[in-house]
Amino acid sequence: MQDPKRAAHAASIATSARALPLPGPNVKVETHVSADTAPPRNPVRRRSVRRAAALLATTGLAVGVAACGSSSGGSSGSSGGSSTKAKLSSTGAKAPGNPTSGTINWWASPITTSGPDVRKVWIAAFEKAYPNIHVHLISAPTDTDTNRATLTTQISGGSGPDVFMGDVIWPAQFGAHGLAVPLSKYLPKSYWSRFANGLVAGATYKGQVYGAPLFEDQGFLYYRKDLLAKDHLAVPKTWEQLVSESKEMQSKHQVKYGYVFQGADYEGATCDFAEFLADAGGTVLNSGDTKAVLGAPAVKALTFERSLVKEGISPSGESTFQEPQSLAVFTNGQAAFLRNWDYAYASSNAKGSKIIGKVGVAPMPTFSGQSTPGYSNIGGWNLYINPHSKNIAADLTFIKWMTGKEAQTIQATKFSQIPTINSVRTDKAVIKGNANLLVVPKTRLVPRPAQTPDYSQVSQAIYQGVSSALAGQTSPSSAVSKMTSSINTALGGGGL
Amino acid sequence: MATSVSAAPPTRGGPAGASEVVGRPDAHRKRMARLGWMFTSPALLFIGLVTLFPIGFSVLLSFENVNVTANGFSLNGLTTANYSLVLGNSTWHYALGFTVGYTIITVLAEVVIGTLIALVLERMVRGRGWMMALLLIPWSLVTVISAELWKYIYDPTYGFADGLLHTLGLGSPVILGSNVSAIIALMVADVWKTTPFVSIIVLAGLVMLPGEIYEAAEVDGATGWTTFWKITFPLLRPTIALAVLFRVLQAFGLFDLPFVLTQGGPGTATTSLAVLGYQATFNDYKYGPGAAVATTTALLVVLGCFAFLKVFRSQVGEEDAG
Repeated sequence: MQDPKRAAHAASIATSARALPLPGPNVKVETHVSADTAPPRNPVRRRSVRRAAALLATTGLAVGVAACGSSSGGSSGSSGGSSTKAKLSSTGAKAPGNPTSGTINWWASPITTSGPDVRKVWIAAFEKAYPNIHVHLISAPTDTDTNRATLTTQISGGSGPDVFMGDVIWPAQFGAHGLAVPLSKYLPKSYWSRFANGLVAGATYKGQVYGAPLFEDQGFLYYRKDLLAKDHLAVPKTWEQLVSESKEMQSKHQVKYGYVFQGADYEGATCDFAEFLADAGGTVLNSGDTKAVLGAPAVKALTFERSLVKEGISPSGESTFQEPQSLAVFTNGQAAFLRNWDYAYASSNAKGSKIIGKVGVAPMPTFSGQSTPGYSNIGGWNLYINPHSKNIAADLTFIKWMTGKEAQTIQATKFSQIPTINSVRTDKAVIKGNANLLVVPKTRLVPRPAQTPDYSQVSQAIYQGVSSALAGQTSPSSAVSKMTSSINTALGGGGL
Repeated sequence: MATSVSAAPPTRGGPAGASEVVGRPDAHRKRMARLGWMFTSPALLFIGLVTLFPIGFSVLLSFENVNVTANGFSLNGLTTANYSLVLGNSTWHYALGFTVGYTIITVLAEVVIGTLIALVLERMVRGRGWMMALLLIPWSLVTVISAELWKYIYDPTYGFADGLLHTLGLGSPVILGSNVSAIIALMVADVWKTTPFVSIIVLAGLVMLPGEIYEAAEVDGATGWTTFWKITFPLLRPTIALAVLFRVLQAFGLFDLPFVLTQGGPGTATTSLAVLGYQATFNDYKYGPGAAVATTTALLVVLGCFAFLKVFRSQVGEEDAG
């Protein structure tokens, strides 16, 4: 059941709505990320740290859900309901090890690009709180593919870090292969209730929660507020409006391009396409995850993406753009609008940017005729425990602290990340200092179809089609039919 | 046999050497051979462990139902399904064609350009050492690093190539954004990096060619062109064969350049067999099919090299006989 609409009911939303004081009639978190599945392809390959942050972002919100698991039978999975159907006990088993002393090897890729390293700030504060636990940071590869492949190799080889920070689309894959400890075995129901709605469901696979949500991420529309004000333009609510405003600013030579996004041959293109597709009213897979149902909405979405490039609203290089390239065009002052993750707000206001103080952030637009806002893809990162860890009790202490008020406040106020726990998300002081957090309640989320064990191949079929169409190598309609047949082959077990 | 012609394996080249010193050459040779084996056996054993075992294991995986678990692989029975999956897959068909075509074109270009450079270097009197050192820079760079440099050059927004084409009035094509130009871009980066390797090998062959033949040719009034085609090239054949062999083996395993520059795209345009195998294995956790891709790739390249050697050897043999 990954129909977003159903999921929407299911995950009654939200993350934000509930969490933040800002109301939101618009707030709808629709997701289904769940987990039933497996090999998610990683989100973004970020080579630079920024991208790393993006990754981080990618996964987070995993909200969700609800919906998916039913087909997998067996355990209760997450069937659509307002809660994830993780089987949570009220007490939790006793974890082996000593909860207040020992050494923890923590595997995490870089999050911040400049200034203090949030990972080290966290560790210092944690070690102050637990002087007898030493956390040793292992800086993971910034490229998610490499990150996951390295981890898998280490863990399946019987070693690896104790605690690792992993993508929100990993739970199914790691759960299915036994590469992570089911945290719900040790952490009681009362622990999981601290998280914003849907996040826990997103980290659940077959009734067990594998990841503790560390931070959340999603797509945002960043815009040049100085230019919009100068031209008396409103922040676009539809794609059509974005195009016409772009053309106006381009014709006045205020910017070289209207809109920059991600269209290269990698996970990010799948994220962006998922947004356009949802805006066009489509989904990738049918409700049983057995076949692709892209159809006309996908053609509409891809035709629009291609037209952005063809009409010069977006650079001709879009088919090679990952986050850093699109961000660079924006921070150089060459584009009016940018689609990117959380960190882009901080990056475009950081030293080196030519548009400091001129950046606004808003929910994504949608196609005209659809209800606003448009869909934002979900990302973010969780904390997982390696099954080979000797001191799981200490690992849990660390995870509990990292998902506690102090650690979450640190990342929200000093590093502009979206926290995962309600108490911090609703903290007025925190909201004031985090521009993205203000927008979050107004957004509408769509996950990637990560419920299927063949997700990595599904995503590959999508991003290959997208980049090929953006490059003008294939027509949008034939790209969509190729995507459809590749996805069906993959789901039928015939993919490579 | 190998007198002057065999520049390639230089170990064999020396006409009659030390063996004359000793009275019983046969016994001495045998003893030396035994000693040789003794000294090399630890290394051979080590090589066997680090190459033969993984290769064997990979072949085994390709015939197994493999599942990844927290305690290593679980092998769930023999199957040929991995191969039927691979051989029937359209991306594999494309990757095979792409890899073969890529190998042929780049190796050809590298050998032609490399030989030309070697011919120039051979005539250089001053500064040859410096030139060779300079030439080796691209070759000695780790491929991933040179690929990152090329990525910067090809960047559609702030790349050098884009700027150059724009300045020349050729528009601003997105080099890595269309199938043909992305493939050409990879080939250029490959040729840039490995041509020096071919040059050095060919140069080594050139300097070992016997001077008398050239003197004789000069006396006979042969032109430079004739001398090259009738003398230099035939004599260089074993050297070139060696260079081609090294290059084919490497080019067929094409991975780093597309991995960094294009991730196999746009679409699947630059998906080589190695990239495909990597994706299947590490992104999709399909270790069995991934191993099948690796095994078929290895098999193909080995067969290709044998065929090539056979053709080339026989030609060399004819030269010898003639």
